[in-house]
Parts: sequence; C-alpha cells; structure tokens
Amino acid sequence: MNDASTNRPESLWAIAWQQLRRKQIAMICLAILVAYAGIWLYAEGNFWSAKLRGVTPNYRISNYAIRNQPPSATHWLGTNYAGRDNVSQIVQGTRIAFEIALLTSCIVIPIGFALGALAGFFGRKIDTGIVYLYSVVGSVPGILLITAISYVVRGAVERSPAMQTVTRYADSGLLAVCIGMGFTGWVGLCRLIRAEYLKHRERQYVLAARAIGVRPAAIMFRHIAPNVAHLIIINFSLSFPGLILTEAVLSYLGVGIANEPSWGAIINDAKQRLWLGNWWELAGATAAMFFLVLALNLFGDALRDALDPKLRTAETKTA
Amino acid sequence: MSVLRWLTIAVMAATFAGASASGAQLRDNTLYSVGADFKGFDPADSGDTVSAAMISRVYEGLLEYAYLDHPYRAEPRLAEALPEVSADGLTYTFHLKKGVHFSDDLCFPSGKGREVTAEDFVYSFTRILNPKLESTGDWIFINHVAGAKEWVQAGNLTVKIPGFVAVDRYTLQIKLRQPYPQLIWVLTMPYAFVVPHEAIEYYGREFRRHPVGTGPYVLKDWRFNYRVEFVKNPTFSGQTYPATGELDDRAAGLLEDAGKPLPLLDRIVDYEISEFYTVWQMFLGGQLASTGISKDYFEKVINPQFELSDALQKRGVRLYKTPNMDLWYIAFNMKDPTIGDSTDPAVAAKHRKLRQAFASAIDVPTYCTVIHNNRDTPANTILPPGVAGYTTKPYAYQFDRQRAKKLIAEAGYPNGKDATGHPLRLTMISAGAGSTDARQQAEFFAEQLRAIGVDLVVQQLSFAEYLRREHDGEAQIVYAGWIIDYPDGQNFMQLLYGPNKAPGVNFCNYQNPEFDRLYEKVLTMQDCPERSALYAQMSDIAIADCPWALMTYSLSYGLFQPWFQNYKPHAFPYPNAKFYKVKPH
Repeated sequence: MNDASTNRPESLWAIAWQQLRRKQIAMICLAILVAYAGIWLYAEGNFWSAKLRGVTPNYRISNYAIRNQPPSATHWLGTNYAGRDNVSQIVQGTRIAFEIALLTSCIVIPIGFALGALAGFFGRKIDTGIVYLYSVVGSVPGILLITAISYVVRGAVERSPAMQTVTRYADSGLLAVCIGMGFTGWVGLCRLIRAEYLKHRERQYVLAARAIGVRPAAIMFRHIAPNVAHLIIINFSLSFPGLILTEAVLSYLGVGIANEPSWGAIINDAKQRLWLGNWWELAGATAAMFFLVLALNLFGDALRDALDPKLRTAETKTA
Repeated sequence: MSVLRWLTIAVMAATFAGASASGAQLRDNTLYSVGADFKGFDPADSGDTVSAAMISRVYEGLLEYAYLDHPYRAEPRLAEALPEVSADGLTYTFHLKKGVHFSDDLCFPSGKGREVTAEDFVYSFTRILNPKLESTGDWIFINHVAGAKEWVQAGNLTVKIPGFVAVDRYTLQIKLRQPYPQLIWVLTMPYAFVVPHEAIEYYGREFRRHPVGTGPYVLKDWRFNYRVEFVKNPTFSGQTYPATGELDDRAAGLLEDAGKPLPLLDRIVDYEISEFYTVWQMFLGGQLASTGISKDYFEKVINPQFELSDALQKRGVRLYKTPNMDLWYIAFNMKDPTIGDSTDPAVAAKHRKLRQAFASAIDVPTYCTVIHNNRDTPANTILPPGVAGYTTKPYAYQFDRQRAKKLIAEAGYPNGKDATGHPLRLTMISAGAGSTDARQQAEFFAEQLRAIGVDLVVQQLSFAEYLRREHDGEAQIVYAGWIIDYPDGQNFMQLLYGPNKAPGVNFCNYQNPEFDRLYEKVLTMQDCPERSALYAQMSDIAIADCPWALMTYSLSYGLFQPWFQNYKPHAFPYPNAKFYKVKPH
C-alpha cells in the first residue's frame, strides 16, 4: 500500500530547499547569514532593553580615557574616537544594516508589486502611466535622488511635532534613508512583476477565471500573485546587499544615520585616523560588511536558481 | 561674523585669508588655496569668513586695516585720508580718491568700468539696509546712521537716507544719530564695500555670480562647489606694499617688498574642498602653500609641546598659531515656549534654570580635548581674551553634572523627564551636514545631555540652511560661533542687544532692559577703562540670564610652505591676499 504522502506533489519551496541543500556554498552562506541574524537579534535586544528602560545603551557610553586604542584582549578591534569598543559598534552596525534593509523592503515590495501588477494586468493607459513613472524615477541617479529625499524627509520628520513619538524610538536619519531608498528602489521589482503579469494574464487559468466572472482584483491577487510570489523572495535577497551598501555610502557621506553606529558612519570616523595607522576600526567595519554582502549575494544567486522553475528545467535538461 | 567651524580648512582659508599656495609644478605666479561652502560675491551677504575673504579679493571699501601694524589701525583705501570727524562726533566726512575705476564689465554701457563716486557709496550703504535684501550686515548702520531706522520702517525705497550724503562727486558724509566710534571699524568690513548700481541692475539675481569691484583681482571663472579663479585686475592701481611695520617685521622678511605695487600675485585659485585628507595630501605634495590642521591630524603634526613635528620642520614648514578672537556658544531661543523667556516671572525663572542646567551639563574641558584636541580653551566670559572688557572671572556654569541635575529638577523636569514621563526633548541646529567632526560634536552634546536625562536632537544642516534658520530666529537651540569683526567688544555685545533681535544678529532674541541700557551707553564711549568695566558688567548680566551656554575660544594653527612669503597673522585677514607672495622654488 502506497503512503498517500509520498504521492503528494512536492511544493516549490520543498524542491527549492532540496536544490539549495545540494549546494555547499549556499549552505555555508546560509550559516553565515544565520550567524549575522543572531548578531542582529542580540543587538536589537541590547538596543531596545536600554531604550525601554530609558538608559544609555552600553555601546553608546564613552570612555574618553581610552580613546583610539589599538586592538587588545579587552577590545578586540580597539576603541574609537570616544573610547567606545569598536566590536560593539560593529555589532550595532549589523542591527542598523538589517533594520535598513528590512524597513526599506517593506516600502519597496508593496509599491513595486502593486504598481507592477496593475501595469501588467490592466495594460493600456495604466500601464503607460506606470511605465512613464518608473522610467522617470529610474532615470535619476539613485544616490542623488535618495540623498535629496532623505534630506527632505529628515528635515520634515525632525520638525514635525506629530512625529515626536516616532523619533523617540527611531533615528530620524534611519527613517529618512529608508524612505529615500524605498521610494527609489521599487523600479526593478515593478518591471519584473509587470513582465510576469503581462505573461500570466494571457494564460489559460486566467482566461478561465475571467470567463466565469471572477473580479479583476481577485484574479490579480488570488490567482496570479501566488505564481509570481517567488520573484519577491528573489528580488528581496538580491537587493538586500545593495541596500546595505547604499546605506553605508549615505552614512559615509553624512546623509544617513546620524546618531547610531552605522557601518558607513564607522568607516567615516575611521578614515580620519587611517593615516595614523589606525586600521582596525576601518578593517572591522569593512570586513563585517564584506562577509554579509558576499553571503547575501551568493545565497541570493543560489535561491534564484532554486526558485526559478525555468532555470531548474534548463538544469534538468542539461543534466 | 558667524563662522563655519566644521570645515576646518574653510576657516583656515579665511583666517589665513586664503594664505595658500603655489604648486612646484606650476610656473606662473599663482596662489592656490582652499575654501568651502562659498555663497557668492555679494558684499551684502558677506557674514561668513569664506565669503568675506572671496569678496575682499574683488571689492573694496573706504578703509582697511594697516596690514603690518599692531595694535590694529584703520587706514584709507578708497578714501584719500581718514575721515574728518565733527566736534560732536556725529558727522564723518570722507574725501574719495579720484580716478578709481570699477573693473571693466558688460554691465557698463561701453564695457569700460567707470569712475567710483560718492553716490556709489550712498547707493551701496543704502542697499544693505534695504529690507527686501535681508542683508546680514544691516546692523552696521541701522541703529546708528541718522534716519536709517525710519527709512527701513517706512519702506519707501525711493527716498534717500538723510545720514548718507554725497556732498559732491568725491565727498561723502555719514551723519550719525549718536556718536558711534565703531564706524571706522565697520567701514573696513566687506558689508561696506562699494558696488556699482549698473551691475545690480544688469545682473539682477545673478549679481552674486558677477562681481564688479575696484579690488586687486577680478573673477575669471567660478565653477560652483569646485573652484574659483581670480586674475589681477588690470585697472587696479594706487596701492603699494607697506614700508613700515612692527619692530621685528623687517627681520622676519615682511618688508622686503616695501613700495612694490600690489597685488604681488598674478592669479589666485581657490578650490572648494571640504575633505581635509585631500587638502593635506595637496599640501604635502607642494600644491598648496598653506593649510589648517584638522583635529585628527593634530597629534601627528603638532607635538605635545604644541610645536611643529620634526619631520615638517625639516621640510622648512612654518607653524603659525593665531588666536581667533572668537567665541563658540550654544544659544537658546528666548522666544521658545520651553526654554525661552516668559512674561510670567515664575515660568521665566524655571526656564532660566533649564538653560543653566543645560550649560552646567556640558563638560567643556573634555569637549576641548576630545573634539578639538586641546586647541580650544573653555570660554568664561562673553568677550574673548585680547578684547577690552575680558576678565578672568570663572564661568558661572562650569561643568557640574550634579548641579545640572538639581537645576533641571528645579526647572520642573526631575531626572530630565517632562510631564508625560518621557525625557525632555530639545532640538539644536548646527552647521556641517556631512562633516565627521560635526557629527562627532553632535554626539558629544547629545551624550552630555543624556546624562541628565534630556534627549537632545541635533540637526546638522548645510551652512546655507544653517544661516537661514539662524537668521529666522525660530530654531530652539543653535550651536553658534562669532569671530570678531573689529577690535571692540561692542561687536560681541550687539549679539545680545534687544533691538537687534531676529532677523537681526541677536537671533536668540535675548532682551534685558539693563543690558540694553548699558549697551546704549557704551556705544557712544571711546575706548577707556570705564567702558571695559561696563563690558564686564554686561557680560555678567548676560551670563546670569544664560541666553547662551559658553563653550570655547579657539586658536588657529596654520602650516605654511617655506616658499610662501609675506604672511603675517591677522585677526581680520580678509583682503590680505594682495600682500602675499610666492617665491620661485
């Protein structure tokens, strides 16, 4: 007697997981990402426990007697200009990086998906309008646009009494950068989703749904969306490192996070003392960023390979 | 004059008046210097040190400082001689030099610069009082010149101000409301430089990009935020290098060029660079003849005895230490409902305690060490050392965290918490957006306030935005600096004089009738011990009210290549580039 479960077709995710497990490099990257996620959660705990208790978090406490110290047993990567431990700064930088990437994705994904779906599904004037919009947004150099939006948002957030509660808990620079990147970063996802919707709207299952009178919104989100949802995952994993790097660049330029130790801000601080031979601060922040971005890129590639049925078919045929 | 701290090199460029450089690879007689955040060539908007230095390359006024003389002394520039002053001290008569022409420019009908006349000064002085222009320099005349205030209030721009009179083509009279001994000094400032009405009418809003002056240089090219290039003004004449100076000037080689026509340099190129590493590399590479020293390079360049390091001494590099005669302070907006003044005495007292708590909470000595590498010293009075009226009396709010906590509790914020139980939130603006030093400074202040339970938000703005917000008088707290414009304590005291409140220079809107009364009294007094005593008294009044938390006085450290000549430190160095020389090397 056959076990019923063995006959059940495997889901896309299960197949993808099997694919991933076969790739050693993807598994190593995943382990690195899990480690980073652990550091992130630890840093969040550290940050919020201090915030909610109304005390200064330990990583923000200065000790001017031990400024710019070289690496030692107590401070593995030395101390910064204010005598704060560089390792703790870099750990908090991980928090900032994850927060930025996740918050920005919360803006990018709904905008990119909704506009892409609308353009691809309805076509005609809606499509023309949305294509025009993303062409305009996409044609402006990203960093410039993000910088401009960040400046405006930051000024508005800091001056608005209504935002007092929000800024009590979140850095205004962080919010500004997220909004800046969020409102510029949706173009890629929008294009991708639009193309998929253009393809799917002519598929038989969609035509059938239309024929029996299913409402367009239901077709878009209940019928087609599950078939393109994996693109969100792929896009998310591949854009994650880009967001981290952009934030670091912005903070390095002084546009981003102002009051928290973002990796960009750490590198900005470190560059002032690099010529004195103080390499450790810069090296620490750069290495932290390098390994996270590398792991994300490699894992993102592997995930795309695993989740994209076309690629998998091609692999199978080749095999 | 408000100054931009973070762009150290910008300050240095201005402090040393663009005393910079020549490249070894360059064969022409050119000075290469650095500045940053230059706003444009409008004398009416010359309130920052960088703009003042740039504008002074092109424009001139009636008077200027004698370059080599200390104590400072004004000497005629476009005037034939120092003014004739009436017996009552209310009328100053200037006779202008004949034959001084504006530089050739398209704004003139023939393209040839016309002769400067007394009417041009009347026009230029009236212009900075024009309320539509919102000049930051109107304070030099508005409360002093006869009819100026009334003219501004009436708003009828077609009427002439009775205090400015062109008696004939070459005779100018300034009539005052009351004696104003500082008039001689303010007339050396870029605000009082002469501009031709043709240029303003021809260029309109673009005037600040098209300077037309009488100065030693003309603008050849300005690429915004990149470089500004000047070349010798072919029509400039009539000024030679001074033949006399202080006793040791001859030994220092400062009189070698006595009698030579100015300017000594053919060309000046100012690069707008805000990144010190770049400036430093250019200096070491011989492209720049001078540089300031950023705090992170300080320990490497200057030894613990505050002398130049051996490596640089061997290269023949010279170090100049110049007191800036400035004051850095944190200004509280006295109109602010949380921290400002109030008509209710009980509320006013609480708010004063809050300001005093703020001032006591900041560890200024540590701030000097961490943020400024001990180049600055903690301030103790409104006036910096070297200015008559300065006293060594200790500052009333020296760092004392326990006292700060007590004061803030008395102000109604126990442990820094407001009525909702949240930390009291205060907002401060500072210049230097994007600057590492400014960010570190902001972090320092926020941390100091956090230690008494206050949540200080520091908004770092671009310099232009910062000046605009400061000028508006709406910001709750402002980190500010003032570098003296002329050697008289009145220049600082005017910042706290009630009628000068925003949009005037008293942007913190401080008003104390006793302070104002004393200010009006000293205004008409010549320099004397009684006046110095009154300045000290005014400083005490202001410190007791605490509209400012005093921070630091600064000292500039400048490095000069051996081939850069004729440099002499000066507290008001803006037009001095014309005296500088670059030796072949």
